[in-house]
Amino acid sequence: MNSLSVVVIDPAHGGADPGARGSAGIVESEVVLNFARFLRIALEGQGLRVVLTREDNENPSFDDRSAIANGQHGAIFITLHVSSTGPAGTVRVYSEPAPTPPPPAAGVTPQTGAANPSRSSQSVQMPAPAFSIGAPAAHPGMVNWDHAQDSYLDRSREFAALLQAQMSQRFRGSPPTPLLAAVRQLRTVAAPAIAIEVSSVSIPDRALLDQMASVLADGVARAVADFKPIYEAGAK
Amino acid sequence: MSRRLKYTLGVLLVLVAVGAIMLPSLRRSVQDLSKNVRSEEQARREVMQPQISTPTDTKVKAQMFWLSDTSSADLAPVTIELTLSADPVLRSKQILNALIDDAPAPERRTLPADTTLLAFYLQPDGTAIADFSDAISTQTPAGILSEQLAVDSILRTLAANVSGISQLKILIHGQDTDTLAGHLDLEMPFPLPTTALQAAPGAQPASQPQPQPPAKQPH
Repeated sequence: MNSLSVVVIDPAHGGADPGARGSAGIVESEVVLNFARFLRIALEGQGLRVVLTREDNENPSFDDRSAIANGQHGAIFITLHVSSTGPAGTVRVYSEPAPTPPPPAAGVTPQTGAANPSRSSQSVQMPAPAFSIGAPAAHPGMVNWDHAQDSYLDRSREFAALLQAQMSQRFRGSPPTPLLAAVRQLRTVAAPAIAIEVSSVSIPDRALLDQMASVLADGVARAVADFKPIYEAGAK
Repeated sequence: MSRRLKYTLGVLLVLVAVGAIMLPSLRRSVQDLSKNVRSEEQARREVMQPQISTPTDTKVKAQMFWLSDTSSADLAPVTIELTLSADPVLRSKQILNALIDDAPAPERRTLPADTTLLAFYLQPDGTAIADFSDAISTQTPAGILSEQLAVDSILRTLAANVSGISQLKILIHGQDTDTLAGHLDLEMPFPLPTTALQAAPGAQPASQPQPQPPAKQPH
């Protein structure tokens, strides 16, 4: 049986990519790194191992961040964001939607010839998934890197629902249910994965966001504790 | 005080007086210059986006999706009168240009004002391809929420006004791009919401192109 033992926390952006920036100088990459540190303390307090995809002001690629998560056994993945817009002090939780069925003809090629929107998919050897949900991989033990999340959509949605419920209790105005969005970072993660986005960098004072950090961390820790038995039941 | 010093002081006083008189007009000139830069941007967009009209154009009530005036996290439908072609490709271009240009207020925009629709294609299988200028990437506020609202406004507006489109692939300046503005994944086509899909008056499915009447001869 695989138990949930690792939480990979991804403070988005960093380095040359500051992410969203507010007129008062609030920078997304800095705020999410602060959130990540609070989350680490709260989750380690529950006996979980926490891995951050970046510890400082650096900017690993989407795939580098996914590789950190995909190299873990018994892991879940949380990417942290602060938006440019939205009602101040609210929190939204996102998981990946089901993939769009491919059109009958393979790929699409515009008449300009400037681009070919169909992408070659890379298959890479990765640790065997903790459990199998959804469509099986084409070859046993192989996961399509570009769509690694496809096998975890249901579990990600369950985790997102638990997390959004915690957020709506703690942050007034937050939606009661999670949302679906094609967040690029989630697509290549072979584990239950969600995105948290806090509003916003457009507020006049960063102190409001910093005050949210401990409450946010408490809500995430509670949701992870609620999700642990669901994860482990699925892994049996 | 020497005569030479008096003369120099006199010249300086005259120059200061002339400067004080000229300053307001100089400021106005600088302001006009900055306005002209904006006008050039607009002119460039007008050249890039010539008014699209076809012999099949008819006035219809189009349902557009811009930001709600009560919540910055939601879209709201707005009905406006537009002159739209029966051809689904031209109709889509007209609709998307209106989505960029005709927002009821700047704060209700979902797409940056400087965005240009460079090209629009429709495949027989119902896959549409919209190619936007770089501004959609560089000027859309970064964030999952704002990027998703931008894409949703495009999808819902197309679904409400053009039939025959099942999914939309977004290109930026002719290129397949990883994300819209750092968050939303553009790798795969986005399915159009089926709930909003309705038979748009005069629009034809992509797989059944409507025979076009002969174009009017120029006089």
